[in-house]
Amino acid sequence: MKEVMSNNSTTSISQARKAVEQLKMEACMDRVKVSQAAADLLAYCEAHVREDPLIIPVPASENPFREKKFFCTIL
Amino acid sequence: MATEGLHENETLASLKSEAEVGGSLEPRRLRLQRGTDYGLVLPVHQVAERVEALGQFVMKTRRTLKGHGNKVLCMDWCKDKRRIVSSSQVCHEHAVTMPCTWVMACAYAPSGCAIACGGLDNKCSVYPLTFDKNENMAAKKKSVAMHTNYLSACSFTNSDMQILTASGDGTCALWDVESGQLLQSFHGHGADVLCLDLAPSETGNTFVSGGCDKKAMVWDMRSGQCVQAFETHESDINSVRYYPSGDAFASGSDDATCRLYDLRADREVAIYSKESIIFGASSVDFSLSGRLLFAGYNDYTINVWDVLKGSRVSILFGHENRVSTLRVSPDGTAFCSGSWDHTLRVRGMVFCFPVCERREDG
Repeated sequence: MKEVMSNNSTTSISQARKAVEQLKMEACMDRVKVSQAAADLLAYCEAHVREDPLIIPVPASENPFREKKFFCTIL
Repeated sequence: MATEGLHENETLASLKSEAEVGGSLEPRRLRLQRGTDYGLVLPVHQVAERVEALGQFVMKTRRTLKGHGNKVLCMDWCKDKRRIVSSSQVCHEHAVTMPCTWVMACAYAPSGCAIACGGLDNKCSVYPLTFDKNENMAAKKKSVAMHTNYLSACSFTNSDMQILTASGDGTCALWDVESGQLLQSFHGHGADVLCLDLAPSETGNTFVSGGCDKKAMVWDMRSGQCVQAFETHESDINSVRYYPSGDAFASGSDDATCRLYDLRADREVAIYSKESIIFGASSVDFSLSGRLLFAGYNDYTINVWDVLKGSRVSILFGHENRVSTLRVSPDGTAFCSGSWDHTLRVRGMVFCFPVCERREDG
């Protein structure tokens, strides 16, 4: 029982150590300002919106999922 | 106002001193991520105010696929943009019967020549595809990944040679398909990992995973290290998807919200939610430009969000049970949703007419 308990505390110490290492590493990260990051997301959107077929619909002739219509004429 | 966002008993001075002295990193990281630190915060929606609103969308269901005899759990598009693989509760996809129930994950290989799937069997198996009706595909099956709990998600990396898996055992893993060897494992989630997504190839070797521990974690595939973690959701994260530029990712959660996290700012930058939406989001995906976020929910609907403005652009009905999976096609012309109502629906844009006055969608 005692062994199990000391095992538990060793693992939780090592877990805590790992967590601190991880947090230290994350804290050192170079962060970009949110306004800049948001502006970049916006710029990407605006640059690519013309090519987005779900926003600017492609003409039916190029849409692979269009219904194929067959026209009949009376002879 | 620089003092907005401060809690009671806090002053700018007290927060600054806490940061300098190095008082507990964990709450500070969480506060930074929630944006309540240091007041001035410009979320994406404010920056996007000057952007033109999107018009009214009309989407039409182009195809309804009814081959499954049971709940559709997962689907993936082939890079040829025409084929889909889907998996269900009683394993039939592309006419392969698997010896287990609940095939929870499936993925198409980049070449289109194989598919990977797995679920409650704790394994991820790869099947080379054949269109020869005489050949028994199940006979050529290769077991690649082996976890100690269910497989929740899988994805080929840039080639047919490696597979990334996520599992209920709380880990993700990278496997070599040919040898079945474990190349790298990713430990860090405190509970089941439910989803993963690989970064678009231009941005390098990382992937994001989401789990039942409410965390979304970004990993370096080569070192196995977690490089960033985000913990603002209030419940299980069911789905994560990278923004097309690779600088951000969206998540859908059982807390009924979808959120956008920016990787370079290292924080949540937008929330997509409404008081009227109370059911969890099961699956999210971006349109090609990243302007639209499609999210499937457990209330049988699909909500289409304007990523920049934060408003809902459209709500799509049609499924008769919860939407379990949703993917936009590789060329962006359509998206496919799979549901517990046994069907998959492929939807595309019919037209979009502009509105003069943008009113808040009720």
